[in-house]
Amino acid sequence: MLDRCFLRFAAALLCLSTAAHSEVLRESGYWKRQVELGELPPIEERVPDEPLVVDLEAKGRSFGTEGGTLRTMVSRSKDVRQMVVYGYARLVGYNEKYELKPDILRDIEVEDERKFTMHLRRGHRWSDGHPFTSEDFRYWWENVAQNEELSPAGPPEFMYVDGTLATMTFPDEVTVVIEWPGRNPGFLQLLAQATPPFIYRPAHYLKQFHVDYAEPEQLEIAVDNARVRGWAALHNGNDDLGKFDDPALPTLQPWMNSDVQTASRAIFERNPYFHRIDARGTQLPYIDTVEMTIVGSGLIAAKTNAGESDLQARGLDFPDIAILKKGEADGANYRVLLWENGAASQVAIYPNLNYSDPVWREVMRDVRFRRALSLAIDRHMINRALYFGLAIEGGMTALASSPLFDAADLAAWSVYDPEMAGLLLDDMGLTERNAAGIRLLPDGRPMEFVVETAGERQEVENALAIVTDTWRDIGIKLVMRPSDRDILRNRIYAGVTMAAVWFGWDNGLPQSYTSPDYLAPTDQVFFAWPMWGQYYQTGGEAGEPPDMPAAERLMELAQDWKHTTSAQDRERIWREMLHIHAENLFGIGILSGAPQPIVVNRRLRNVPERGVWAWDPGAHFGMYRIDEFYYEDPQAKFTQ
Amino acid sequence: MMFLKYAAYRFVTMLITLLVVSVMIFVIINLPPGDYLSNQIAELRSTGQADGVAKAEFLRTEYALDRPLWEQYLIWVGFAEGPQGYFGLIQGNFGWSFEFDAPVADIVGDTLWLTVLVNLAAVLFVYLIALPLGVIAAARSETWADYSAAFVGYLGLATPNFLLALLLFYYGHKYFDLPIGGLMSPEFEGQPMSWEKVKSILVHLIVPTFVIGTSGAAAMMQRLRANMLDELSKPYVETARAKGLTPTRMLVKYPLRMAFNPFVADIGNLLPAMVSGSVLVSVVLGLQTIGPALLQALKSQDQFLAGFVLMFVALLTLIGTMISDLLLVLLDPRIRYGARAQ
Repeated sequence: MLDRCFLRFAAALLCLSTAAHSEVLRESGYWKRQVELGELPPIEERVPDEPLVVDLEAKGRSFGTEGGTLRTMVSRSKDVRQMVVYGYARLVGYNEKYELKPDILRDIEVEDERKFTMHLRRGHRWSDGHPFTSEDFRYWWENVAQNEELSPAGPPEFMYVDGTLATMTFPDEVTVVIEWPGRNPGFLQLLAQATPPFIYRPAHYLKQFHVDYAEPEQLEIAVDNARVRGWAALHNGNDDLGKFDDPALPTLQPWMNSDVQTASRAIFERNPYFHRIDARGTQLPYIDTVEMTIVGSGLIAAKTNAGESDLQARGLDFPDIAILKKGEADGANYRVLLWENGAASQVAIYPNLNYSDPVWREVMRDVRFRRALSLAIDRHMINRALYFGLAIEGGMTALASSPLFDAADLAAWSVYDPEMAGLLLDDMGLTERNAAGIRLLPDGRPMEFVVETAGERQEVENALAIVTDTWRDIGIKLVMRPSDRDILRNRIYAGVTMAAVWFGWDNGLPQSYTSPDYLAPTDQVFFAWPMWGQYYQTGGEAGEPPDMPAAERLMELAQDWKHTTSAQDRERIWREMLHIHAENLFGIGILSGAPQPIVVNRRLRNVPERGVWAWDPGAHFGMYRIDEFYYEDPQAKFTQ
Repeated sequence: MMFLKYAAYRFVTMLITLLVVSVMIFVIINLPPGDYLSNQIAELRSTGQADGVAKAEFLRTEYALDRPLWEQYLIWVGFAEGPQGYFGLIQGNFGWSFEFDAPVADIVGDTLWLTVLVNLAAVLFVYLIALPLGVIAAARSETWADYSAAFVGYLGLATPNFLLALLLFYYGHKYFDLPIGGLMSPEFEGQPMSWEKVKSILVHLIVPTFVIGTSGAAAMMQRLRANMLDELSKPYVETARAKGLTPTRMLVKYPLRMAFNPFVADIGNLLPAMVSGSVLVSVVLGLQTIGPALLQALKSQDQFLAGFVLMFVALLTLIGTMISDLLLVLLDPRIRYGARAQ
C-alpha cells in the first residue's frame, strides 16, 4: 500500500521532470527529413516519457554531436549478431564498475532474490514505433516459451529454479513480475549477459506468424512462401532478436538493421525510438550509422592498418600490435589502445580428470602431478617470448581488478621450479625412465602427455612449444594435437581427450554477487571434469558423480553460496573456492591480462583509454556504451 | 553409331559414379562426431546462450538430423520421404545451409559467377605468363634466358601464396592504393552491373590473379619447355632451318603446335577447376567465391551446403573427363572403344 503511494508520487515527479526536459529534446539531423515529411513522429513522441538520461559527466565523458558512420569489421557473415553485443541495450546492464543498473527497465525491485518486479518505461517504443509493453513479455512467456510446438522441450532451463517453473504476472502494461518459490540469485546477471535470453518479444509483429493469432489463410500462404513445414518453423525463423539480421524484426538496440545487407556488408542505422538521451536532450546513439564489413579473418589486421576501420578489436590479436603501432606512428588515422583481456587466463591447460584411460586418470588425479606440470612451466619465458613481458604470469584465478583477487593464489604452484617438479614426480613413484629420459607410467608406458587444441590461436601453439621444452626437462613428453573447436569439444565431452587447452574462465572479474557455479563441477564446458559436469547437468542421467574431495567441496560451496544473501558470506565462499582451484590446479593457467589491441579512429571520442576486453560480463564494447561514442567532426568526409 | 553407343555407355557409367560419389561425400562429411546442430548447441551452452538452444533443437527435427544417417542420405538425395515430403537433390532442392542460414541454392548462385571469374582470370594469366616464357626457355635453352625464366617460375611456385598475398596487399595499398581483399567494393554488392562496378572488380582482381597465377605458371612453363625441346630435336626442324625459315616462324609453325597437344587433353580438368580452384587463396584473400563457403561448411559440418558443392564439383569433373574422352575418341584414331566394343 505504502509502496504504491510512493510509486504514484514518484511517477508524478517523473512526469514533471519529463515535461521539463521534453522542451529541450533535439530533433536528430538524420531523421529530420522523415519528420518533416510526416513519415516519423517528432522526437518528443519518440523517446519514452521517462527516458534514460545518461550521466556523461559522472563518467568523465564529454557531450557529443550527432552524425557520422562507424566502420568496423567482422570475419563471418553471422557475426552481424555482434551488434546486439555492442549495442548492449539490456533490461538491466552492467556499468563500468560492474554494477547492475536498470537500462531498458525504468526500475527493478528484487525481493529476497525470489521475486523480481520489473517496471518498464512508459511510452517506450520498438524501433518500428509500436509500444513496448508488458504484453511483449506475456507473449514470450505464454505464446512462445510455453507453446508446445515452438518450444518442444518446454520453457527454457533458466526459468526453472530447483525444478520449479517461474510464475509470471502482468499487473499493468508497464509492470512484469517474475517469481520463484526458491532463490534465483543469478537472474539479473543472466539478463545482463552479452547474449541475454530475450524474455520479451515484439508481439505485435510476431503474432502474424502465430497460429493462435494469425489469419489462417494468410498464415498458410506465408508458410508456403517460406517453404517451411509449418507455422512453428515460420515463427521460429522470424523470431530471433539475437541474430540481428532481419530488418523487419523490431528491436530495442541503439542501431537497427537497414536494408543494406549483403554477403560482405551490413549497415545499421540509428533507432529513432531509442530510450537513452544525454542531459542536453540529444537522443543517443550519437553516431548515425554503423557499417559492418565481413572480411577474411586473416585480412582484418591488414585492412585495419590501412585505416579501414574506426573501431576494431575483433580479429586483432596480441601479435598484430607491432604492425598496428607502426601504422599509428606512420601517421595513420587511428590510435591503438591496449585494453586488458578479461579472461582469467590467456592460455590454460586442463588435464582431464575423467579421462577414459584408468592409469593416466589416476596419475592426473594426483594433485602432485598437476602441481609438477605447473611448476615446470617457465611462465616468464613465455611472457617475454610471446607478449613482450606485458602479460601477468601466474595460475588461473581472479584478475587483479577483481575485489576477490589474492596474490597468493596467483603465485601458488606457478613459479618456475623444475627441481621441485621433479621431486614431486619422484615422490609419486614415477622414477623409471626410458632411453630418451621420459618417465614411465606405473604400467610401463612412456609419459606422453597429449594436449589437444582448437587450432585457432597461434599464441596457444607457441606457448605449448615452449612448455614442451621445459616439460621434457622433468621427463614428460608433451604432444600437441590441433583440431577444430567443435571436434575438440565433442571429444572432451566423450571423455577421450587427455588434456585440452582453452582460455581460463570467461569471467576473470568475479564479484561476490557473481554466481560461482562455473568454479564447481556443474558444467561440462570446464574441460577438467566433463563427466562430472554432465552428471550435474542431466540430473544424474549421464556422466558420473564427482568423487574427489576437492571437487565435492567446490560443489558444496556453490550450493552454500545460493543459500545465503549476505555479501560477506558470499565473499568468503568465493575466496575459498578460488583458493581450492589455486591449490589443486584443475586448470593450469599460464598467463593472464595480455593486452588486447583496440584500434580507434583518431576523431572518435569518449572511448576509454583503458578498459577490459571481456565477453561476459562486459559484452566486449557493450559495457562501455558505444552509443555514447561520437566523432569530433562528424561531417568531415573520410578519405577512403 | 559406334560413337553414339559409346557416348551413351559413358553417360550411364557417369550417373552410377555420381551416385557412388554422393554416398561417399555424405558419409565423409558426417564422419566427425556430432552434427552441425549438436555442435551449435554445445557452442551456445558453452557461451551461456540459453536462448538459442531450443531453436537448434527445433531445427533438428525440421531437417531430419535426428534420424539415422542412411535415412538422412536418402532424404537428401530425394529417394525417401523427409519431413517436407519427397524433396531432395533430384527434385531440385539443394537443401538448407545452417551456417549461412539461407538456402544452399542462393549461396552457390551468388558466388558461382565470381568463382568462375577469378579462376578464369587466373587461368588466362597463367597462359599469358607461361606460354611465352616456356617457348623462350625452350628456344634459348641452357642460356641466361632459360635460367631466368625458370627462376621466375620457381619463385612463384615456391613463395607461399598467403605470404605473397599479404605482401602484395600491404605494398599495393601503400604505393598504388590497391584495395585489400574482396572482389569488389562492398557498395557494389547486389547492385546491377555498371561501368563503375566492372572497374571495381578489375582492380580487386589484380592481386588474386597474380597470386594464383604465379603458383600455377611454373608447372606449365616446364611442361611446355620439355615438349618443345622434344620437338626441336626432330629432323623436320633441321629441314625447316635448312630451308631458311625465320626462327620465329619456324618455331610457331610446327613445334609449338605439337607441344600444345597435352594442353588440349587438359581441357577436361579446366571445368571443375573453374569452380573448385584456388580455395585456400580465396580464404586468405577474403574473396567472395565458393571456396571459403565450402571450407566453412566443412569445418562446421554444414552438411547440405558442403555436400552440394562437392557434388557439383564431382559432376563437373565427370562431365569434363567425358568431354575430353569423347573428343580424344573422335580425334585420335589410335584410341579404341575398349574391349567391350568388339
